Amino acid sequence: MKLKGKTSEAQIIAKHQEALHRGFRTWPGLAYNRPPAMGDARWTADLILATWVQAEMGRPPDNGLEYRVGGSGGGFDVLTFNFLLREQWVPEQETIDTSISLNRRPYDRKIEIPVPWYGAGMSFGSISEQIMQARAKAARQWGTFTCTGEGGYPESLVPYREHMITQVATGMFGVREETILWAPIIEFKYAQGAKPGLGGHLLGDKATASVTKMRESVPWVSLFSPFPFHSVYSVEDHKKHIDWVKTINPGALVSVKVSTPTDVDMVAVGSYYAGAHIIQIDGGYGGTGAAPEIAKKNIAMPIELAIPKVHRFLVQEGIRDEVVLMASGGIRTADDIAKIIALGADGCVLGTTELVALGCTRCSNCERGRGCPFGLTTTDPQLSQLVDPDWGAERIGRLYASYQMQLRNIVRRLGLQSMRELRGRMDLLNYRGKEGGHHGSRATH
Amino acid sequence: MSDRVLFSIDDAFKQLPPARLPDRSVSGTSTPSSSTFHRYHIETRPTPDIVPFPSRFRVKVKKHGLIGMLLRELIEYKGNFKVALSRPCLYGVFSGPVGGLAPREELCVGCLRCTVQYPHIVQIYPNPERRRLGDSFVKPEYVDTIMYEARDGRVPVRGAGYRGLFGGEGWDGLWTDMSEIVRPTRDGIHGREFISTAVDIGEKPPFLRFDKQGEVVGPVPVMITTQVPFLFDVPAYTNQSKSLLPILSEAARQIESLAVIPIQSVVELSLIGQHLVPLITPDSLSCLDQLSSSPHMLMLDGWDLECYEELKRRFSGTVVCVRVPMDTNLVEMAQQGVRVFHLTANYHGYIGNRFVIDLIQQAHQSLVDAGIREEVTLIGSGGIVLAEHVPKAIICGLDAVALDVALAVALQAHFKGECIDQETVSLSFPRLNMDWGVQRLMNLAASWRDQLLEVMGAMGLREVRRLRGEIGRCMFQKDLEREIFAEHGGNGGGI
Repeated sequence: MKLKGKTSEAQIIAKHQEALHRGFRTWPGLAYNRPPAMGDARWTADLILATWVQAEMGRPPDNGLEYRVGGSGGGFDVLTFNFLLREQWVPEQETIDTSISLNRRPYDRKIEIPVPWYGAGMSFGSISEQIMQARAKAARQWGTFTCTGEGGYPESLVPYREHMITQVATGMFGVREETILWAPIIEFKYAQGAKPGLGGHLLGDKATASVTKMRESVPWVSLFSPFPFHSVYSVEDHKKHIDWVKTINPGALVSVKVSTPTDVDMVAVGSYYAGAHIIQIDGGYGGTGAAPEIAKKNIAMPIELAIPKVHRFLVQEGIRDEVVLMASGGIRTADDIAKIIALGADGCVLGTTELVALGCTRCSNCERGRGCPFGLTTTDPQLSQLVDPDWGAERIGRLYASYQMQLRNIVRRLGLQSMRELRGRMDLLNYRGKEGGHHGSRATH
Repeated sequence: MSDRVLFSIDDAFKQLPPARLPDRSVSGTSTPSSSTFHRYHIETRPTPDIVPFPSRFRVKVKKHGLIGMLLRELIEYKGNFKVALSRPCLYGVFSGPVGGLAPREELCVGCLRCTVQYPHIVQIYPNPERRRLGDSFVKPEYVDTIMYEARDGRVPVRGAGYRGLFGGEGWDGLWTDMSEIVRPTRDGIHGREFISTAVDIGEKPPFLRFDKQGEVVGPVPVMITTQVPFLFDVPAYTNQSKSLLPILSEAARQIESLAVIPIQSVVELSLIGQHLVPLITPDSLSCLDQLSSSPHMLMLDGWDLECYEELKRRFSGTVVCVRVPMDTNLVEMAQQGVRVFHLTANYHGYIGNRFVIDLIQQAHQSLVDAGIREEVTLIGSGGIVLAEHVPKAIICGLDAVALDVALAVALQAHFKGECIDQETVSLSFPRLNMDWGVQRLMNLAASWRDQLLEVMGAMGLREVRRLRGEIGRCMFQKDLEREIFAEHGGNGGGI
């Protein structure tokens, strides 16, 4: 390490940065078995380490780490594919198309992304500016998008504005005319799957001077983004919201992010009629900066159950091909992406998995004190320097590459030519539910 | 028109016994006058454990490796101690007098940064002592959660997403609903709009009957209003009862709820207050004469018509509740006049192999089918050990729940084996201090009430009374899985 000209503080940061990078690189291959305190039922130690491998190598691990499913005992983790016999697979020399369209209506701007995902809204305040930059760089590199979340639009993201989604949520933090004008896609966040019906909450410790300046608030005071929009009581009011942003930026596509109540299918249809191009259904098992544990576990249904419900209803209503359905909230792997598309989504929105690629161990301490000890979900000036945006963008980019490779492999083995063909093909899945046996034909994974 | 108005509505209501609130006068504080608006609130205060609680993690440091690394770094950073001694932990685990040589395990939050950076020197392990907390139903995670709630009185909030299993058995196979856009409440959980958690327990005739003089001639409502939909159930027998029961009693009084206490203990310990619900068996009827005041509610343990009628006769203005197993035929008893039931299952929430979710729904539905649900109050206990179980039990059909094992956990009771029913349970309590115990239970109650507000706020409900039996406000995992996955098949084949 070169020390010349570096202050002690810079040396400390460099020292820890180097040790962390070494750890991310070497941990998955160490002969210590799994780190005994790492992981949980949804994100097992294997999944976390496998994500680190993919972020490092751009391909899934080949040392026995389980990189496809977790240990939750339900949902994605008991869904399996009915792969064809090898001779029926699509040959490797044929290219599998993984792109999706983000506007299926006959009017307005056409936007296609080469991979069936984009980045989830994570606000400045919930994550550091460096992480936002890393995500934006990766989105530009891959021709997809990432989202500001509800915390304003830092200046450093303006060069990436063609790949940034501006989020408008109930607190309206950082929403300005220019942030609407910059955006190719504007996202209205009605609810968040991890805390549905409860609104957002940035704890006082993380409301630093820079964060509150962006949000036009005062430092060290907890910030609530109350639920719901106080100007929306009906689908008609919802349409007025969409009309409002379309008046400012007629070229923008509009996404509506909602949670998964029992009538989520009706909500989706309402959003379609209000004029949304994209409906993002956010399930309860996704990430968050801080949420009551009771909400994460108990309120609203998981995404694996919500997406098929919505997909079927949109089909029945005859509008499925005019709206893009994106799934978020608990999508951890390439297999999860393929499964949620087979369940009826067009694509998905990734959040936590990108943070895991950058070193998150899922310790759930995002909300406390200075925030994340890995410099991810923090705005602490020292901690946030642990992540260099270029390093972060490379990690996310390599994870994307690994996902795309795996998705092509899955689609190929199902005898399909593109991700679009997979949408709604529940017949290609088996679900081994709790009540013994499985629905569908054979478990083959 | 010749008929004269014989009575006014106001006059009619004057005949009714007023709905009663338990006395909430707290020593040293003044009770607000009836003309003063008083928003219900439970006072919380940090109340640390009196028995050390095992730390979440064990931190193992290879001391020789650590010293070697320090020496190497001192050389590498040319003697700059600030850099060489800078350690990865933000939480002070290595901040003791000798740093990493004697890590302070109790501060470790399991972020794993130390072990990610230096896997050859430090390893973090889950503390095996934690796995021994609770029993097969009250899992170690539950104990952890209840302890946090009792210690701080706050809603458990953590970062990152949900970490547990996908749905599951029992309460875990049920998700509560939320309202996306159209909803009556705004910001309820942040206190800008009041959400009521009060419930009425008692006899609620569907209508009043008057004679020609305007006098009420039929049954009148006899009700108690508790400010939270949970009361404290009679604890399993322990040799600590003399210190435990006054704690339950005082905590119930403070939170404006009720405590069910065996009548012998009420008399023996000279417990006083209308928040007390003496539990009576046919054998203990004689103790009624020794009560120093007339209770608002009495609870008859088991069904005995003669005994019930005796109680009704002697305490005409008192709610008489009958405590029976949850699978009892309630309609028959209701036809004999019973209007308040305390339905019980074992501490794991079972009667035989049926879980309380099914049992509550069945009891509720039987009363709905008989057309008398609105007249009856159902209290239930058994298997309700987490805050989330309260709204779920109410959704299934209860008016209120009675808490049992969770209270013992909050008071740091130690499980000696499985805690299944009153007869076989073996719990050992630490030496209980009155103030400490009362505050722990108040903290728990405050946290659970706030979590109930979270759940109701998400639904857009203004009062917990409206949650009762609202099965449309929840989603059952088994139903959704059947609906979504039952029909489709695969295309066969294999890898």
